Amino acid sequence: MSAVATPGEPAGTGQLAAARPDATGSMVPMPRGRRQTELAMLAFAVGVVLFAYANVGLGLNGHIPAGLVTYGIGFAALVGIAHLAVRRLAPWADPLLLPLAALLNGLGLVMIYRLQQSGRNGNPGNVIYGMTSSTATFQLIWTALGIVGFVAVLALISEPRVLQRYTYTLGAVGLGLLALPALLPARFSEVPGTGAKIQVAVGGFSFQPEEFAKLALAVFFAGYLVAKRDVLALAGRRVLGIDLPRARDLGPVLIAWAASLLVLVFESDIGTSALFFGLFVVMLYVATQRTSWLLIGGALFLAGALIAAKLFAHVGERFTIWLHPFSGTNPSHAAYQLVQGLYGLGYGGVLGTGLGHGQPYWTPLVQSDFIITAFGEELGLTGLMAILLIYGLIVERGLRAAVAVRDPFSKLLAAGLSFTVALQVFVIVGGVTRLIPLTGITTPFLSQGGSSLVASWMLIALLMRISDTARRPAPQPIQEEGMTQVVRGR
Amino acid sequence: MNHALRRVSLVVLGMFLLLLINVNYVQAFEPPFLAAQQDNARVFAQQFQYQRGSILTADNKTIAESVHVKQGIYSYQRHYPDPQVYAPVTGYNSLYSNTGIEQTEDKYLSGTAPQLTVHNLIDLVTGKPKRGASVQLTINSAAQQAAYNALKATGLPSGVVAIQPSTGAILALASYPTFNPNKYATFDGAQLNRIDSAYRNDPRQPLLNRAIEETFPPGSTFKIVTSSTAFATGNYNPDTRVYAPTNLKLPGTTHQLINYDNLPCNDGTNPTGNGKVPLIYAFTVSCNTVFGNLGMHLGDNALRAQANKFGMNDPNLTIPLPVAQSNYPPIPNNDPALTAYSAIGQYNDTVTALQEAMFSAAIANNGNLMAPYMVQRVIAPDLTPLVTAQQTSMGQAVSPTMAAQVARMMVSVVQQPYGTAHLAVTSMTNYTVAAKTGTAQNGANNTGLDDAVFTCYAPVNNPQIAIGVIVKGGGLGADASAPVAVKILQAYLSSLAKR
Repeated sequence: MSAVATPGEPAGTGQLAAARPDATGSMVPMPRGRRQTELAMLAFAVGVVLFAYANVGLGLNGHIPAGLVTYGIGFAALVGIAHLAVRRLAPWADPLLLPLAALLNGLGLVMIYRLQQSGRNGNPGNVIYGMTSSTATFQLIWTALGIVGFVAVLALISEPRVLQRYTYTLGAVGLGLLALPALLPARFSEVPGTGAKIQVAVGGFSFQPEEFAKLALAVFFAGYLVAKRDVLALAGRRVLGIDLPRARDLGPVLIAWAASLLVLVFESDIGTSALFFGLFVVMLYVATQRTSWLLIGGALFLAGALIAAKLFAHVGERFTIWLHPFSGTNPSHAAYQLVQGLYGLGYGGVLGTGLGHGQPYWTPLVQSDFIITAFGEELGLTGLMAILLIYGLIVERGLRAAVAVRDPFSKLLAAGLSFTVALQVFVIVGGVTRLIPLTGITTPFLSQGGSSLVASWMLIALLMRISDTARRPAPQPIQEEGMTQVVRGR
Repeated sequence: MNHALRRVSLVVLGMFLLLLINVNYVQAFEPPFLAAQQDNARVFAQQFQYQRGSILTADNKTIAESVHVKQGIYSYQRHYPDPQVYAPVTGYNSLYSNTGIEQTEDKYLSGTAPQLTVHNLIDLVTGKPKRGASVQLTINSAAQQAAYNALKATGLPSGVVAIQPSTGAILALASYPTFNPNKYATFDGAQLNRIDSAYRNDPRQPLLNRAIEETFPPGSTFKIVTSSTAFATGNYNPDTRVYAPTNLKLPGTTHQLINYDNLPCNDGTNPTGNGKVPLIYAFTVSCNTVFGNLGMHLGDNALRAQANKFGMNDPNLTIPLPVAQSNYPPIPNNDPALTAYSAIGQYNDTVTALQEAMFSAAIANNGNLMAPYMVQRVIAPDLTPLVTAQQTSMGQAVSPTMAAQVARMMVSVVQQPYGTAHLAVTSMTNYTVAAKTGTAQNGANNTGLDDAVFTCYAPVNNPQIAIGVIVKGGGLGADASAPVAVKILQAYLSSLAKR
């Protein structure tokens, strides 16, 4: 995939080699930052989004939406600002991440606009539950705030290692954010109708702290594991050809496990719980290279899930819904949402109904947790696979940055951030398509909701910062010889 | 750490592959299963987003069509120009369910039939909106309108079917009281439920299709079957003199079978009320004692075998609407008294109005019973015919010779001044008609009002239409049901003459 996008680019740290002086002592050209490529692909992404927007209008009302021009200019300006910031602040960053994120964000905006236009059960007079008549506008404002977050991260964090200093501070912030909804009374923290306590709502404004906790905790895990990885990698007993860690080193993984279970119990949020635990275990594995951590983590997760399924009715029900969505009264009651989403996917089939021609409005929460089924319905299997591949590309570019960067902290952070994207997509897309039991978490960039969008943009900014560090040419000596070399930064 | 990172990449690749494989399964293989789920609102709503095919009569009158409207997600609304007249035929097409032809031909009307796949694909490519195929019925609008008007005029629960004897094509199929399918065409789910439950709870049962879904005792019209059974033995013809008592003593009981109004069966040659009359005379004036006695002699098994040949006891008859089974159940212990009652259509034998029409249709078509059908052809949106009805025979109900014998007796019923249908028919039409009346006693101990039953065909020499009528509580068949049949055949035959 990457070979197509950036032809001829040397893998890994090859850029550094390309910048070495050749035999004659003259300098070869600096490796290109590929900002032009990024701009071209951004233009393409904006084009696709505007085409989709026009499509929605044609599909719903038979004419192009009146706001196409202003909307187009607004969206293009936002991603343009992001692009200019990258040119200035991270000129060596991976050129694919920004266009991919912009494309997903734009498609999400289009779908939310489309759902707002059709209304609940297809009646434009009734708004879909959880939306208002200005949700699409708000989502555009959130996009702008997301871009602000993106630029701010690039501007404030000039080197990924800067974050390492704040390892424990961010750890505390992350845990605080995660625990906040559980500590607040339900009227402030419960998402209406779901029973999940995952937000902080004051007045008409709500935000989901877990989205930001995810970023803070990824930094914390990276910093902590870089410091402790040598100890954690020490082998204990060897069982069945696997080196088990020493019993006394099990502490951190057990704490993470317990914390994720607490999130599950007190916030009724299975998806987030799985996400954080998965993030920790994979980062632990990358830091120590010990497969045993993956096995221990997996076993703990399965045990936790099974115990929770037995102990808590709402967790057990998820399994029942997953296994038997069509039996008895499930389709009209417990499994209604899942079944409606599947009906939508089935209705779309291979080629989809076309934007504005489907009936995604039957599915509850189609604008957030189930937005992927709306895409599956209207863009078909074809479009859904394309969206999954876009996510796959984002993860792949993130992991590539992790491989390329030399500093272990940045490496771990990039790996963790990339993996959260993969895991989040797996959990929510797998959930709504009945691959795994359904747990409600946001679909990065697509779902309605500001916190997720801003946090996703900040995540992309962090990945781009790390890839910028990885791809930046080595400092050039100012003079060729001498006792002391004066080096110039970038 | 790069080694571990590459492994994580493989895990991520695996996760995305799982997602991709799963969505392929859900969206490429599961859609037929998902679309078939009862509560899939998308499938029901979808059909109102494009034009459903029309339903037409044989003479090209539109009786159901999709009209362009714009109501929320719905672009087309079903409309029935003559709702009550054709309701038993078309059924309704609502948000959640279909009945009648709307149900049986749904795959054509909605455009989902496999034969339409290529048409749909061409429309998709050429940018034409998807449309359903039209269904043309065998129903004749003149006959159908006359049928509904005549039933309505009786004011009683009633059903009628008219068939073209030579083909089995159904010319009219009406029921009263009936419903208004336009009321089912609402897009308001709550209103739809109100309308539906109001119809369902209506004691007059307007949703019941009395032409094919309800069975009634055939009464004396069953004497067609009893006579046919007798002729099949080879020992009888219409002129055979048969025992014609005024009171028929039933073996093993204290009951005596009597004639209508306790009249004797006397053509002038049976003054004692204990002698014999020609079979044709007994048929013409409808003597119960003669046919009860005849039935006992012929036996339950022979009567049932003949009834089956006329299409009774068939649970699978569809036209393509499913038809209730007309019953001639086995008689317990071959009880002769009950056999006598069965032979005059008064025990457990019950028939639909369609079955009544099939009796006459078989006789009119030289004994060859054509399978009744209602869908003449299916026409694709580009006007190419997709399906054309194939006429099939259900077999010889009776031999041509026997058919001629029964026909002679049915003509006599109308033409003889003393025939039970003479006045009712000859006073109203100049067409020659062959008929049999029936007056079925009803209710516990026969305390209910009699059902009026009538079966006939016309014209006698060149049969074009066979009709079966049942009017619940109509009294004498000749009084309530015969006028209905005559109005239909008059309307139909004169419409043929105009053509």
